[in-house]
Amino acid sequence: MLIWLILVPVIAAACIGLLKTPGRLTALVSAACSLLVGMYAVLAPESCSECLSTFCGTPVQLTLGLPLSRIMVLLSILVTFAAVVGMKAPNADAERSWAISALLISTGAIGAFMSDNIIAFYGFHELALIPTFIMIGCYGRGDRRNIAWTATIYLGLASMVLLAGLLLLCSEMHAWSFSGMAASVQAGIMPGSTCLIAALLLVGFGTLVSLFPFHTWAAPAYASAPTPIAMLHAGVLKKFGLYGLFTLAAVFGPKCQELFGCWNNWLLVLLLGNVLWVGYVTISRTRLDSMLGNSSVMHMGYIFLAFAAYIACNGNNELAFQGAAMLMLAHGLTIALLFLLTGQIEAQTRTLELDSMGGLGSKLPALGFLFGLAGMASIGLPLLANFVGEFSIFVSCFAGWKPALVNCDCWLAGVANFFGGMGPVQLATIGALWGLVISAIYMLRAFFRIFEGPVGAASERATKLTVLDIVAACFLAAFIVLFGIVPPTCL
Amino acid sequence: MIPLAHYLILSGILFSIGLAGVLIRKNIIVVFMCLEMMLTAANVALVAFSRAQGTAGVPVYDAQVLSLFITGIAAAEVAIGLALIVAMFRARRTVESTALNTLKD
Amino acid sequence: MNMIQNLPWLFLLLPLVVAAIDWVCFNKHPRMAATLSLLSAAATFGLCVAYLTGLQTGTPGIYTWVPCSIEQLCLHLGLVMDPLAMRMMLVVTGIGLLVHFFSIGYMKGDSSNLSRYYAGLSIFMFSMSTIVLADNLAMTFIGWEMVGFSSYLLIGHWFHKTSAAEAAKKAFITNRVGDFGFLLGILLTLGFFGTMNFADMGGKAATLAPAVLTVTIVCLFCGAVGKSAQFPLHVWLPDAMEGPTPVSALIHAATMVAAGVYMLVRLQVSMGTEAFTETACTIIASVGAITAVLAAIMAVQQDDIKRVLAYSTLSQLGYMVMAVGLLAGEAAMFHLYTHAWFKALLFLGAGAIIVCCHHEQDIWKMGGLRKRMPLTVLCFMMGTCALIAIPGFSGFFSKEAILDAALAKNPVFFWVGAGVAALTTFYMLRLCIVAFMGPARDHGAEHAKEASFTMALPLLVLAVMAIISGYGFIANDLVPFNGFHAHGFELGLPFYVSMGSLAVGILLALAVYGLGGRTRDPLAGNCISKALRNRLYIDALYDKVLIGGIQQVFANLIQFFDSYIIRGIICKGLVWLTVRIGYLCSWIQCGSLRAYTLVSGIGLIILVLLLAYQF
Repeated sequence: MLIWLILVPVIAAACIGLLKTPGRLTALVSAACSLLVGMYAVLAPESCSECLSTFCGTPVQLTLGLPLSRIMVLLSILVTFAAVVGMKAPNADAERSWAISALLISTGAIGAFMSDNIIAFYGFHELALIPTFIMIGCYGRGDRRNIAWTATIYLGLASMVLLAGLLLLCSEMHAWSFSGMAASVQAGIMPGSTCLIAALLLVGFGTLVSLFPFHTWAAPAYASAPTPIAMLHAGVLKKFGLYGLFTLAAVFGPKCQELFGCWNNWLLVLLLGNVLWVGYVTISRTRLDSMLGNSSVMHMGYIFLAFAAYIACNGNNELAFQGAAMLMLAHGLTIALLFLLTGQIEAQTRTLELDSMGGLGSKLPALGFLFGLAGMASIGLPLLANFVGEFSIFVSCFAGWKPALVNCDCWLAGVANFFGGMGPVQLATIGALWGLVISAIYMLRAFFRIFEGPVGAASERATKLTVLDIVAACFLAAFIVLFGIVPPTCL
Repeated sequence: MIPLAHYLILSGILFSIGLAGVLIRKNIIVVFMCLEMMLTAANVALVAFSRAQGTAGVPVYDAQVLSLFITGIAAAEVAIGLALIVAMFRARRTVESTALNTLKD
Repeated sequence: MNMIQNLPWLFLLLPLVVAAIDWVCFNKHPRMAATLSLLSAAATFGLCVAYLTGLQTGTPGIYTWVPCSIEQLCLHLGLVMDPLAMRMMLVVTGIGLLVHFFSIGYMKGDSSNLSRYYAGLSIFMFSMSTIVLADNLAMTFIGWEMVGFSSYLLIGHWFHKTSAAEAAKKAFITNRVGDFGFLLGILLTLGFFGTMNFADMGGKAATLAPAVLTVTIVCLFCGAVGKSAQFPLHVWLPDAMEGPTPVSALIHAATMVAAGVYMLVRLQVSMGTEAFTETACTIIASVGAITAVLAAIMAVQQDDIKRVLAYSTLSQLGYMVMAVGLLAGEAAMFHLYTHAWFKALLFLGAGAIIVCCHHEQDIWKMGGLRKRMPLTVLCFMMGTCALIAIPGFSGFFSKEAILDAALAKNPVFFWVGAGVAALTTFYMLRLCIVAFMGPARDHGAEHAKEASFTMALPLLVLAVMAIISGYGFIANDLVPFNGFHAHGFELGLPFYVSMGSLAVGILLALAVYGLGGRTRDPLAGNCISKALRNRLYIDALYDKVLIGGIQQVFANLIQFFDSYIIRGIICKGLVWLTVRIGYLCSWIQCGSLRAYTLVSGIGLIILVLLLAYQF
């Protein structure tokens, strides 16, 4: 059954491309089918997996048995559906190519999240990247060629580094699949050159997730990409790197520190760069799309924090894993919704400069409500999806911490001692907490400038949202609220 | 009977002359002929070995078959090579190897 | 059985569900939304009364929101039902109910989306109940963030006004700064105490080093500094007056801003007072005292009736925090409780006055209101008497309790308290004299009429509470504190000093403002007055220097580095490197056939040698 999750969008894309069926409708049917099949597969109690073929003696199989598979497949099908429903292409030809790209990206992402075989896992992701480049280059906003090339160089190099890391790891572990590697770990096999492999993996996966300082491709690319592509890439495809890191960490279980441990403190510094540095970059942005792109980069820092906490605790940190899973799902939905609404705002006001808008909330209250909900979710308001993830991550960072009891007569020395007694993960957490303030500043500022105050000239142009616009946004918003109240921990 | 060493020395000299020609000469036709000379040197060595390895006056025919092959392939090569040189001369009006440097820049 | 046990969850679920229905389903039906919210507030109030009069339903169930194999790390949702919580609930739901009722009159004829307004009120009721009933710090934090959100929503209710939208943003962000410390404090508590659950914290403080406790408590206190608007994060509260007045009464006077005090007292109760080390206590009490003094001074020169009350709220919150810092949680909660009633009264009274004066808020444009709306003014005066602590009114008892505690612990704070009391008397009498006495100075005040029934009824109820709530026979049953005993009143230094400061305040106010004949403030026009009107330039400092200056410059600088240095180095740098390497290697392509042959020949020889000798 899992094979259909991959075949349906491919067949639909082929229909659109070869038979010239109407782009949006075909994509919609395909996304709806994927949604139904995917929901069934994700909610099914037994973890289903099926073997496709064998390659060099190792079975190539699709599975939902990996720890993060279900949640990521769920994210993929939800965002794909919303992206296809909310798609608004300039003309019929563009609509076809947008639909094909969206379906292919979705195929690649779902395939990667379901692959047990590591080479297939890598290959599916590469498949999904190609339409992204093409879409940015052909239909992007602004300086699209340059942005597409930058993204291509970054992601191409990252994939190369990643492939080297994965091949090295696989050959040293004598296993070419996640399950096989888990068996090797059980058997006590560990790779020899762990530091090299970990560095390759962290740089490779990290660049794909826009880890500081390899993040500068991300914000321009998201800002430039057509709405459905930005939704799918920022919401789903970008999580591939984190998915890979967490899956490998889970595969290595209690030995994950041996693999990733030697770079953990560096990772902490880099993720603080994501949260604080990129956070301040976000504050300085005056265009909505660029601001959202940067905010998405910034929030990746929290998930890396969970990863570092997971590694620092030798994999014995269930809460970090869960928090990261929940935040990945929540962030995917939220950022997809924000990009969707950005597209609608641009369609209504024909501008994305924050300074030239204002008062849109009086003209289009529904849009204001949805954007407010998504914005509040992204800055971690309780009862919306992101909060549970962020809070769990922060708590998990202090989970394995056994404070050294300091006793000093002078309280100042005591305080100094006290901070000295904290581990690197805890210190990084304190820095990352400031991200709460930063994200509130930029998100509320953007909301204020777009929706509040007297109605500006750009907002005057706004007319009315179509039904499909509202359906697409409400679909995502409903899941953000649902996962906020009922955290998807059971998956 | 002439000892094996003499044949081999002859073959070595032939090969060296050929090699020197390939390396030194600019004219591609000469370079081509020098290549042929190197092949001939190999043929001489092969035939000499075939005689030397033989028992009771019967040579080892393997080596001689190989030298026939080399001659055949060399003939084919000459055909293609000369055609290329003619084509080159038509295009460039020269057969100097130093003229073949357009890819450098 | 199980259903009955979980009855207290209605305190949370009912307003939450009502808020969702109001906002989503009744978006076009404000009257339905109002009714539904009012009913939910009434239901929670009734439930609260029922529990306080002896309803027993057993321990409410605990839900595991985020499960984890390590018990302490699970995110549980549970309720505490001790007197501290349940009586606080009475204040919250009681004032909440009255404010819902008042809102119907106040918001009549308003063209904004009233469904959103009532949904906001219901979200507030939900989140405030979450803070009060939370049995662990994580749940407190959830409520903490949600009250911040409802406050944002309600301050910015008239979001088409730039000032209102700005004020809402400022309130949320300032609170987030406090929450940064609060969340850190929660995490430290988890690290040191090993639990976030209030019930399990007791007795562990003794085993911890004082420095550890100090840092933890101060971090937790940061949350209170934000939420209860203490110096230096007090700037949002006066601006929050941009919201509708009932909201100011409920959220920014009576309940939400007191959440910080409630949380600190809850910690004192569960961790034990030994967790509050001397240093931490000094910091807390000093912050409270500074806030009380600064706010009282700034209140002296405010002309907006709501701003005067807002600064007075700040000042009274400073009192409460000071009491917490003096380890007098009982006195703090006593003052919180009386303050909630009389400050809600003052705000609702101000709201009635504003509506009746056709949305005029400047007291210098009022005047003579005592003749035109006598009932409202009478109620307002009851509130004023309670606030300036005239003996016999509720505020007197609670303020006396704080002063007693201050004198016992640290006389400095006692004299600060006495000075603030004199200032309080002065600025409240200034407000009353200018607004109520003398002739009307503007046509809004000339045509003022008595408030309508829906506004008058809550005022009357609150006026009664402002008078009687301080007496032992009521206070002993209603003050939110476990085992509360009303302050034993006796003649002594605190009494004489507070009477003295009361007299000083009254005499000064009469001397400066007479009996209402003035048309402009005799104290205005000098540089001190200007500084006070500009809030001692603290807001300007934050806006211009911290936010506009340092943060913006910092952000732009980082952005510059990000786009030029990092992108330059990584992306342009890689391209440059590749091109350089290409040029470097291009000499190999010398273009000489003979050289290629030589090199390949040598290569062949080396290869043969390697193969031959098995290197």
